[in-house]
Amino acid sequence: MLEARDMMVFYENMVGLNNVSLSCDVNRIVGVFGANSAGKSTLMYVLSGIMLDIRKKELMAGGERISVFGSITYFGQDITNLKPSQRARKGIVLCPERRRIFTESSVLENLKIGGYQAPKARFRETLDYVFSLFPDLGKLKKRTGGFLSGGEQQMLAIGRALMAQPTFLLLDEPLLGLSPRIQANLMRATKDICETRGISVIITEQYARPVLPIVDYAYILENGSAVLEGSGQEMMNNEDVRAAYFGM
Amino acid sequence: MDIIVYGIINSVSLALMALGFALIYGISRVANFAHGALYVISGFMVWSFLNTAGLNYFFSILAAMVVVGVVGALIYQFVLIRVRGMPVSEIIASYAIGLAILEGFRWWGFKGMTYTLPVFVEGGMQVMQVSVDIHRILVVVIGGAIVGVLWLFTHYTRIGLALRGMAQDERAAMMLGIDSDRMAVVSMAFGAMLAGIAAVLLLPLGNITVDAGYNVLILAIAVCVVGGLGSWMGAVLASFLIGFAQILTEVYWGAQYQMVVALLAIILTLVLRPSGIFGRQKALEERV
Repeated sequence: MLEARDMMVFYENMVGLNNVSLSCDVNRIVGVFGANSAGKSTLMYVLSGIMLDIRKKELMAGGERISVFGSITYFGQDITNLKPSQRARKGIVLCPERRRIFTESSVLENLKIGGYQAPKARFRETLDYVFSLFPDLGKLKKRTGGFLSGGEQQMLAIGRALMAQPTFLLLDEPLLGLSPRIQANLMRATKDICETRGISVIITEQYARPVLPIVDYAYILENGSAVLEGSGQEMMNNEDVRAAYFGM
Repeated sequence: MDIIVYGIINSVSLALMALGFALIYGISRVANFAHGALYVISGFMVWSFLNTAGLNYFFSILAAMVVVGVVGALIYQFVLIRVRGMPVSEIIASYAIGLAILEGFRWWGFKGMTYTLPVFVEGGMQVMQVSVDIHRILVVVIGGAIVGVLWLFTHYTRIGLALRGMAQDERAAMMLGIDSDRMAVVSMAFGAMLAGIAAVLLLPLGNITVDAGYNVLILAIAVCVVGGLGSWMGAVLASFLIGFAQILTEVYWGAQYQMVVALLAIILTLVLRPSGIFGRQKALEERV
């Protein structure tokens, strides 16, 4: 159980997140929807701990002053001040926005680096799973990461995150700029990750339509605040939400 | 023939000097300007283990490697970690450490002909009708082996792959459970050890002097700038370029121009192709 309570984030005086609470149970898919600058990525950085690193670097370089308030608990344990690498070891793995694969390493090396903290047996088994989930990657093992197409890079990014043995997988805008066919493919994979591996997925997107059918619960962010939450079905049935966020 | 044989020897020496610098920069993006000081320290440590402590040569080298690795790690853990992410401060801090060490040695009266390391194997042999002493051949063999081992290490071991991941995208590596500070400490220790290995291999060919520290730093920077900062293969290639250029100048103009070649190479690279031979490839940028 991953739970963020009353998260507030300020970039200097600008509100990044305003009193957002979010919780995700084991074996669930939770969607977070919102427009540009609604706070989706900020929320992901807060959950994964990357925000602490950003704040530290900004502080040292004399850059933006970032303040973070609120608490995050993971199976009842307070992890608000854990470093991102420690959180990853506990099972909270972020697959970042814009993929950020290792562009100079091959596909296989990317996955191997992802499996840094995996025990040997799990490593092999997860590698096989990733290739069965994304058969396209299996054909491109030796290809340099930067030479993959956008869709292939996204598959690689998800595969790499899976190699890190997550219990909670955070997917930040995985569908960004991809074709509808690949979007559908990735959503099918996401569902499979949750169902066959028992991994909880928190997924953010701007455009909710391809994602909504697979989520159990959804939050809608607007200017840093969670303005609405409910089960996937409730969201589907809400006229305003449909018009504003789902383009239907 | 002379030119080819000595060109190769000189190039491998340069590669040895530069690898530690390139490794640290490649992984933690810290330009370690204390590199030359680490080089001199390791030479001096081997000398003192050998002559003062009376250990045998092999164990002196081993002990010096361990100590210099620890010194490198400590420099990161206690100094550089505080200015991480600010390139200019990193350079100033590490250069200050290097300066303190080197000038400390000078102040302490560390000069003259007394500080020399013995060669590994006495004697010489003929290579392609050129007489070369065996130690220089050992430098080439061991230097080549180190480049090979480093390549295998970074491609096939868990830590090596993690280091490469961090070199490419530090934050993405963190998300996968790789502790960036710990990895930077590891890279610093390895880089210091590589400086130490270079010292142990190259210093027996001359004296241990304070100035060697500055020269090594300049040469290492020249090689890394020409090869493209952060690229290890670029560094190896660039050391061959500069290595042969140096030998050619030495043969046709005179040995005193050797350092000019390195500095000229930096200037030319910055003017013509600032990212170096193997700078970040634009072809590999993100695709949407």
